[in-house]
Amino acid sequence: MPVIEVNHVTKEYRLGQFHSLKQSVLDAVARLRGHPVQERAPFKALDDVDFKVEEGEVLGIIGQNGAGKSTLLKMLARISVPTSGSVNVRSSVAALIEVGAGLVPDLSGRENVFLNASILGMRRAEIKKKFDEIVAFAELEDFIDTPIKRYSTGMQVRLGFSIATSMDAAILIVDEVLAVGDLAFQRKCFDRMEDMIKRQGKTVLLVSHNVRQVERLCTRAILLDHGVVINDGHPTDVCNFFVDRSNQKIQANQRINQAKVTTSGEIEFGAIEVIDENGSSTDSIEFLRPMRIRLTFKASTPLQQMTFYIGLHTTDFIYLTAHNTAYEPVNLEMGQHCVELEIRAMALLPGVYCVLAWIGQPAGRTVFHGESLSSFRVFARDYVVTRQRDRGIFHMDAKWNLNADREEAKLLTASQKG
Amino acid sequence: MIRVIKNIVDYRELIAVLAWKNVTVRYKQAYLGIGWAILKPLTLMLVFTLLRSFVGIPSGNVPYPILAFAALMPWIFFQESASEGVQSVVGNAALIRKIYFPREVFPLTSMMTKLVELCINALILAGLMAWYGMTSSVYIAWAPLIIVYTMLVSLSIAFAGAAINVYYRDVGAALPMLLSLLMYASPVIYPLDLVQSKLLVQQAAGEWSNVLYILYTLNPLAGIIDSFQNVVLRGLPPNFSALLPGAIMVAIGLPLSYLFFKRAESHFADVI
Repeated sequence: MPVIEVNHVTKEYRLGQFHSLKQSVLDAVARLRGHPVQERAPFKALDDVDFKVEEGEVLGIIGQNGAGKSTLLKMLARISVPTSGSVNVRSSVAALIEVGAGLVPDLSGRENVFLNASILGMRRAEIKKKFDEIVAFAELEDFIDTPIKRYSTGMQVRLGFSIATSMDAAILIVDEVLAVGDLAFQRKCFDRMEDMIKRQGKTVLLVSHNVRQVERLCTRAILLDHGVVINDGHPTDVCNFFVDRSNQKIQANQRINQAKVTTSGEIEFGAIEVIDENGSSTDSIEFLRPMRIRLTFKASTPLQQMTFYIGLHTTDFIYLTAHNTAYEPVNLEMGQHCVELEIRAMALLPGVYCVLAWIGQPAGRTVFHGESLSSFRVFARDYVVTRQRDRGIFHMDAKWNLNADREEAKLLTASQKG
Repeated sequence: MIRVIKNIVDYRELIAVLAWKNVTVRYKQAYLGIGWAILKPLTLMLVFTLLRSFVGIPSGNVPYPILAFAALMPWIFFQESASEGVQSVVGNAALIRKIYFPREVFPLTSMMTKLVELCINALILAGLMAWYGMTSSVYIAWAPLIIVYTMLVSLSIAFAGAAINVYYRDVGAALPMLLSLLMYASPVIYPLDLVQSKLLVQQAAGEWSNVLYILYTLNPLAGIIDSFQNVVLRGLPPNFSALLPGAIMVAIGLPLSYLFFKRAESHFADVI
């Protein structure tokens, strides 16, 4: 039997300000007199969300900002109730919606442990039993009698996390809390989560923007988009789907953004086109396939000794490639011109990239310079490749040799014989 | 009603811890510490005593300062439990948005915090009585019951007020003012005997006198304060006839107030 049932849950919020008492009274009077009242538009934070979670399942919930993830968790933690539909949770729940909610600055660490654990629903006897463990995990033995307003942010968060995760509940609801403290503590938190999931067999709902975390910890993932479940299944599949969608969205945003251009006025920029191997202008290029970048512009005066430079950069302006013609300056006549950079194989890993171009004299006089002139998406049909962008940017042509020791021995014997 | 009591039992530890937190935090970095709790009734008592030296208020055979202090104890307890109870839900917005437990914990906690202060004031009263060489009769056993009844009165206001305050902060702003007006309509500065003799004996308001007296005792605090003074100072049983009209109000008001709170509760996190 599922421990969590979410039955066709819809949650609506009214947009805009909550009415003042005066407005409410005026509206009530208007309604009584049969006049129409201006209603605030409803906003669906969740739209007919329906799923079940079995015992021991570790469910990751991913989605962009405002997809409804936190709203969903609030329903599960009973903080908020659905507008329609129902949520059934058949077990005790520990909700780590925001660790450290309810820590009181004026109280000491020790007092806060008792206070916060009580708020989370622990019994006094239970807290006493676990007190040492909580303090040890937070690494705050020396500071436990200091008021926590003297703690650093990291120390407070550590204490909050330590208290929250010491609860014995069958279901754990976690909202983005693994990104707390320094790297060493993050590691500890992650290990503790993993321990709860793998060894204690708890049912866990995890909301995270960190796709890799979801993939590693979860047995199932749900992708929410504008309050609707658009993908539900194996975490790897759902995460891949999500990453690809995000890339498309980044590209869409990039296109709206204005390019940054400086020009001396002698050149009028025409266009940057990305052309695939079939010769058609496009905005998506397949990984490791050939492509061309075409720059069109108009020279308003004849220009001497011009060189070109075309480069690629990421959407956050990390410069990746640069190709120039510094050793082959050309003279440009007045009128329309078109130059192309041919790339034999697109070795950048799947993601979104932008094009920059520069025209000028080798000595450094800039006639035209533009960044983010155009953007394109690199995609791969192989999802293993798609996800490598988490770990790098470039693909380097290489070959694996899995029997290296044996081959080396062979070479060695060959040389001895020789 | 059974669920209310069950919730209180289930969450008694939480209420206790939160009340302890309120008390600790309030006085933690204050030199006078918990002394602030007795400052308010003591100051008011002195002011009233001073006032009495001009206008002359009869106090029976009980010294006026003690009479005033015994009136101020339940009054301040009621006033502050009610007004802080009304603020309690909004004041804990951070918790409400993050963690679930029955929301009535908040008004109850405010009341428990005030109960601690009431107990400290009880010690002061005992000290004052010793100073004036007064002793209590067996009727003092009624005092805890009167205090429990006072709690029910404050909760009638706190539940509904706290829920409305989530939507309209006007309530939280208006209540302290209304309550300080109510103080003059309660036998705090003057004893209830004075009202009784004016209205019931002298029929000061003509044919309306008896009705006015009933209206006056509809305020539960009228009966509470007089009964508290009776059992602690005068060695008399509680004044049941003065308690009755108010008790009927509370018997109707408290369940309604609680039901209203529970209905509004599920939307607190969305609106707050």
